[in-house]
Amino acid sequence: MSKSWAEPVAPGSNAELWTWCPRSGERRLHDHPRAIRAMEGAGQNIAGAARPFGGPLSWRTPLPFLELNVLLYAGVLAFVGGLGWTVSTWSQQLGDVLVLTVLSTMLAACSWYCFSRAPVWSSAETPAPSPIFDYVLYLGSLVWSIELAYVENRFHVLSGKLDLYLLATAALFFFLAYRFDNRFVLSLALSSLAGWFGLTISHWSAHQDATYCQYALLYCLLVGVSGAVLQRRSLKPHFFGTYLNIVANVLFWALLSGVFLPQGYGLWFLVLLIACGASLAWGLTRRQFAFVAYAAVYGYVGVSSLFLRGVTDKSAVLSYFVVSGVAMLVVLVQIGRRFGRSA
Amino acid sequence: MRLYSASSEETLRARKLLTDWVGEGFLTKAQYQLLEKETVSELRTTNIFLRLVLFLFTLISVGAAAGLFFVVFLSGPSQQTVGVFLLIFTAVCYVAAEAAASQARLYRYGIEEALAVCSVVFLCVGLQFALFSNSPYSPKEFVVPAAGAVFSLWMWRRFGFSYAFLAAMIFVIFLPGYWTSSREAQRLIIAVFYAIGLAGAATVRSRHRFDYLEEAYSLVEAFLWLGIYLTINLQLSSLNLSARWWDGTRAASEFARPFYWGTWVLIWCLPPIVLARGVRLKDRFVIAVGAIVAGLTLVSNKPYLGWPRHTWDPMLLGILLTGVAIFLRRWIARGPGGIRHGFTAARLTGKDKQWMDVGSTVAGLLSPQTPSPQTSSQDFRFGGGHP
Repeated sequence: MSKSWAEPVAPGSNAELWTWCPRSGERRLHDHPRAIRAMEGAGQNIAGAARPFGGPLSWRTPLPFLELNVLLYAGVLAFVGGLGWTVSTWSQQLGDVLVLTVLSTMLAACSWYCFSRAPVWSSAETPAPSPIFDYVLYLGSLVWSIELAYVENRFHVLSGKLDLYLLATAALFFFLAYRFDNRFVLSLALSSLAGWFGLTISHWSAHQDATYCQYALLYCLLVGVSGAVLQRRSLKPHFFGTYLNIVANVLFWALLSGVFLPQGYGLWFLVLLIACGASLAWGLTRRQFAFVAYAAVYGYVGVSSLFLRGVTDKSAVLSYFVVSGVAMLVVLVQIGRRFGRSA
Repeated sequence: MRLYSASSEETLRARKLLTDWVGEGFLTKAQYQLLEKETVSELRTTNIFLRLVLFLFTLISVGAAAGLFFVVFLSGPSQQTVGVFLLIFTAVCYVAAEAAASQARLYRYGIEEALAVCSVVFLCVGLQFALFSNSPYSPKEFVVPAAGAVFSLWMWRRFGFSYAFLAAMIFVIFLPGYWTSSREAQRLIIAVFYAIGLAGAATVRSRHRFDYLEEAYSLVEAFLWLGIYLTINLQLSSLNLSARWWDGTRAASEFARPFYWGTWVLIWCLPPIVLARGVRLKDRFVIAVGAIVAGLTLVSNKPYLGWPRHTWDPMLLGILLTGVAIFLRRWIARGPGGIRHGFTAARLTGKDKQWMDVGSTVAGLLSPQTPSPQTSSQDFRFGGGHP
């Protein structure tokens, strides 16, 4: 996020080039950072502005896009939360017909809005046709989930086969995400798919057996390969980052839970090291330092658990943390010096 | 007083802006390369991910080193001894942080930040152990949070860490508990401290309207407004918050009636004041805080009045938030050139898009989109009208 709201932008030109003249409410291109003075000295027009430098330029401030989107997101989330709460609390008084009518009407309205306003599908990144478009789609997706949950709980249509329900929901959300180019819904799809794989977050803390790890690996394989194939085929290639980040985190959690197993952890540890190496290499070559951080933190936890397995001596444990912590610092500083200067 | 020279920080800021501009396509590659040569800084910076990881590993190393010292060199030490050594560690960490910043020229690098944080923690724990370990409770113990607050403020001034200012504000919360048992007076004292800070920050920041300190003072002012609001909103800062919110009982019995209703009036007055100031200064952080406290006022109004909550309240809040966002966007966009009073709702920075991309991914993952298998359990039923 840029520094403050006082981000001046002159029409046809660029930000932060002027000082503010309180009397006229305008900004003038005089007392600005060294870089700008250098440009001015070189006689270059930084942004191809229509006016010459030095001329008074009326200034405007972006009411950031980001804040309004946060407000919209909070609004949709609060609305859906209240809707779910009301439906689950008052369903008997309201009656199935009324509840389903209201939910279906909302769902139909959202669908109509999205399908009627969506631009022609393109495999490239497509901007939303209106500022609220993404949020209407998001609302529709959440209302769909509430309605399906209601139907299942009241009528047991799928007779408890929630895995099918999650898979169908994931498929629908994938379709919507790719049709409307929406990351919100893509994330919903990926987490629904994870639910289908038995990967809901609540499982993590309670179970650490190998079955869940294997399911997680299968999930990572499926999602990672799908993401890579779709990217290679230039089918919404900008979604690849979302796939990769989710896969990396699920993969590392799965491998770590394997490393923490009381027995048979050797193979998991080996795979963890390979995954860390791959993450590090990817992060450094692509300059995506989140992957460097994943490799450092997850790798450190895994290696530490192996080294400290069965060690009870306090001074040995603390010595390990001092030595390993300093070693990590040295390595990371070297990496930072070579690769990570971009602030 | 500040560790880094103004020209260094100004240069870094200019460099950061250049990176933003080139990302936006405002600058050509040739222009960027020309300008880049003019903004070479001797300070060492890194990206946010490495910064966080370096911070984490420095914390681990320093914490483990301190623990190892006590395990190896002291067997069964008294608390005073531990306290004295912790105070020595405070000095060591602080000197190391200074050296990292002044000699190694680290700037927001994680290492010097973690060392500074460790020094504040060691100071507070050390003072507590060294001075007050024998007495169960002493009014003089206020020295501990006071020292924490002062030292944190010093860190903020010296290194420019905004979170150090926030830490100082948190330390201030513990101070009045040592001076008075009156809960009204405690809140008033905290609010007065924050108000004094706010007056000071507002005075000083006008001199830094367009330099590298603008962001720091903007953040400080936003923190202080939020602090004042949270202090006076008795519903948000009460301990048995959740129980009270559900059954609709008021916190009035815990406080004198005039004080209680006075704070109710204030929580309605403060949001427009904060918003108006933010809009006038065109300050992004202050406006964000204004919006947050406005939302909190709406959320806490019913508990304040002792009215029962309804399941549809969040729906109404959602409709309101969405309506406000849509109205604002449209109102501004209808202005000449899509601008009104110096504001535009157009997306102007690539960083906004980046934040949106990351935020939408995380928000989607955290959304309650599908009932997990637990919803089929016996505990979960649609039905009977008991919220």
